[in-house]
This record gives sequence, structure tokens and C-alpha cells, in this order.
Amino acid sequence: MKPDVPMVLVEMAGLVARNAAPDVPAADRASALGLTAALMGFAAQAWDGAAHNLVQENRAIRALLGLQGSDEDLRLSVLSQENARLRQALIDRHAEVEGKDPAMEAAIWAELVASTERRMVAGSPA
Amino acid sequence: MTQSLEPRIAAYVAGRMPNATGVAVDSLSRISGGASRETYRFRLSWSEDGRLHERKMILRRDPPASLIDTERRIEFEAYRAFHGSSVPVPEMLWLEEGSGPLDHPFFIAEEIAGYQAGPALLWAEPYLGTHEALAERKWTILGEIAKADPVALGLDKVMEPIAPADCWKRELGYWENVLDEDEAEPLPIIRAAIRWLRANPPPPPARLSVVHGDYRTGNFLFDTEGGIHGILDWEMAHLGDPLEDLGWSLNPVWSFGRELAGGLVPEAQAIAIWERASGLRADPAALKWWTLFNCVKGQAIWISSARAFISGGNKEPIMVYPPWALQNAQDRATLKVMGRL
Repeated sequence: MKPDVPMVLVEMAGLVARNAAPDVPAADRASALGLTAALMGFAAQAWDGAAHNLVQENRAIRALLGLQGSDEDLRLSVLSQENARLRQALIDRHAEVEGKDPAMEAAIWAELVASTERRMVAGSPA
Repeated sequence: MTQSLEPRIAAYVAGRMPNATGVAVDSLSRISGGASRETYRFRLSWSEDGRLHERKMILRRDPPASLIDTERRIEFEAYRAFHGSSVPVPEMLWLEEGSGPLDHPFFIAEEIAGYQAGPALLWAEPYLGTHEALAERKWTILGEIAKADPVALGLDKVMEPIAPADCWKRELGYWENVLDEDEAEPLPIIRAAIRWLRANPPPPPARLSVVHGDYRTGNFLFDTEGGIHGILDWEMAHLGDPLEDLGWSLNPVWSFGRELAGGLVPEAQAIAIWERASGLRADPAALKWWTLFNCVKGQAIWISSARAFISGGNKEPIMVYPPWALQNAQDRATLKVMGRL
């Protein structure tokens, strides 16, 4: 999820602290805290599976494209950086094979569908 | 905080109502949402002709950094053009393009009070029985917008001109550029959709229309009888192919998980209502193009919201909600429209 969860949580922490002040108008406080609560719900959903999903996706793309790499550093920032590199490679390969290599094209679409399922957020509107 | 705005709004309005005395603003409160403009409601009171007057108002002010970069004059003039027509909109009162009076440009309009806009309300009583009637009104009004003559409305003077054959190129180019500039990670599904759109362009529209640009469930005021009393959020209005608006209204993210157009009725029913009201035919292939285009546009909007937060231009929580809640949903919607899901 972008923006990254830690960046958002830091900002939300400051927002909650500011809204603890007694002179914040009730409507402003309700608006700020209602949205913050919703975002915390999303962050909670993402927390447990984030590293697992990135590693899964990185492995799947490497296997699909025949690329080298590893996910030994499990910090989300590092996994995300590798994921971005691999997803860009996937875009380039997809554009290359369109209309030329139906089997590879189908395999890429299958991974894109799987990736979307992996990243699905509960309550998704589509 | 919003309290300090009240005297400043009152001072601004007093300067535009020379016959009024005792102009005052109270009950100012911010309305949740509004990632592209800050929206407030307030009560204006004043004395004029020996009588005390009161009116409920809306203030829409530019934030420091926006989800959507738009010209507020175009939005203001679009509202003004349709006011009093078969397309219900609030009355626009004052447009301020300078930053002096309230720190950022803004406009003030009447509030159409007593109705709802939030889509979540529609999936519970007393609204469950109104979906057919609401859909009839929703796509009839969209047909009226498509049918309206931009020249007769005077909107050709404020909106960028476009040749019919160039509508799709301009819109796709604009939103692809937003993605190029703002994406925080590669987007393989959206990039595949863009390649498909460029390889399969739609025919030119039968006529140029005013395109609302964000016509969806959630951007109109509804009642408990299926009536619609105000079409809101014209900030992306422009001249273009009327199928663009129809395609946005059919973007699966606006089905709210209900597998129905706008969460209300089957897609074919929505299209039939629009065709009847507009007098236009929605060519299926062209409509598919514009629906898929709107998946790209939607993703570009959610991505640019994330960028505004990441770059520090706007750290409001509302900037995070669209990318977190909708980015994956928009990818899923794109796969659906492309027949991949």
C-alpha cells in the first residue's frame, strides 16, 4: 500500500495528539478522527500479511521472467524496493510479448490476477 | 481551526453585499471528504431592507495540495451554466481566485439542505426501495448533461476547445501523464490497459458535450423517494465525448461491491436510460473504451492523492483513504473491464 504504512501511522499519531487538545471544534475532531480510524483499520489488515505477500509476489515474478534475486532482508521497505524493480520488469516484458507470445502473455495475466487477489483489501468496492 | 474562518468569511461577503448590514457567519463546520477541495457549511445572516435574513451556505476552498488539480473557475461556471435547468445544481454566489481573503482560492454557494450524498446510506432503509427511481433520475440527468449545448450555455468560453477526433487522445494523454509523474510504484495492470486503449481508439463522438468528469453515485444529493436535488463536484468538467461520463458512471469501483451500475441497477438498464434521455446511442465498443479509460483515470486520481501525501504537500488523512481503499479495487475493476477477471 502506498503511501507506506509507517509514514501514515507517524502522521496519524500527530493528528490524534493534536485532536486531544480541548479547544478543537467537535466537527473538526470528528472528521479527523473518523478517517484516522478507518486508516488504522486498513493498516491493521495489511500488517500481518505484508511481508509474506511481497515475498510471494517477488518469487512469482522472478520465476515467470527467469530473473535472479533474493528476499533475505525482510524489512518492508527493502522488499518493496525489490518488488518495484520486478514489477517494472514485468511491465516491460508484458509489452514485448503482447500479440507475439500468447503463452507468456497468458502467464503474465495470470500473475497479475493473482497479485491483485494477494493485495485485496477487505471491503473492496470492486 | 474552522472558528477563525467565520469572521473572515463574513468580512468577505460583506464586501460583496453593499446593501447588507450586520453580515455574520456562524455554525461553520467542515464536511468530511473532499480530497480535492476543503468543503464547509455555514449559516450567513444579515440585515437588508429592514429585515433580518438567513441563508445556509457552502464554502469550497482549495487545499495546500489537491487530489485533483483543476481550475476552480471552470467548476464555478459549470455550476452557474446549469443552474435553473433540468440539471439540478446549487446556486453559485461568489468566486474568489486570489489567496488574500481566506489564504487559498474558494467559492461560496447556496447549500441545498435536507438531502444525503453518502452512498453507504443507499444500501439500507429507507433507501433500499428507491434504487430504480434513483437510477432513472441519475442517468436521465446525465443524458440531459450530454444533450446540453455547450455553446448555448456559454461554457465554450471557459472550457478548453477540443476537436471531436482528439477527445480520447487528450484525456488519455493527460491522465497517463499524471500516472507518469505521481506513481509511487509500477502499475502493470494499468500500463497494460493504457497500451490496449492506444491500440484500440474509439470513434469520434457524434457531438461534443459538457463532460461532468466525476458523475457517480456519491456526487449527487438524493432523498428518500429516489429524487435527486443537486449534482455536485464539477471540478473536472470539460468539453468532450459524452460517453466519457457514462463510462465513469459504469466504472466498477462505483458499484460499491454490488455488481450493479452505480450500485443501483444492471448496466444495460443504466445505458438504456441514458440513451433515451440523451438521444444518443452508446456504441458498445466505444463505451467499453471509455469505461476502461475511466479505470485508468480513477487509478491516476488515487495515485496522485498518495503522491500529495508522500511529498508532504497535503498530510490530511483524506489523502490516504483513496489510495488505500481504492487502488486495489481499481486494479480489479480494470481486470474486469478487460475480461481478465
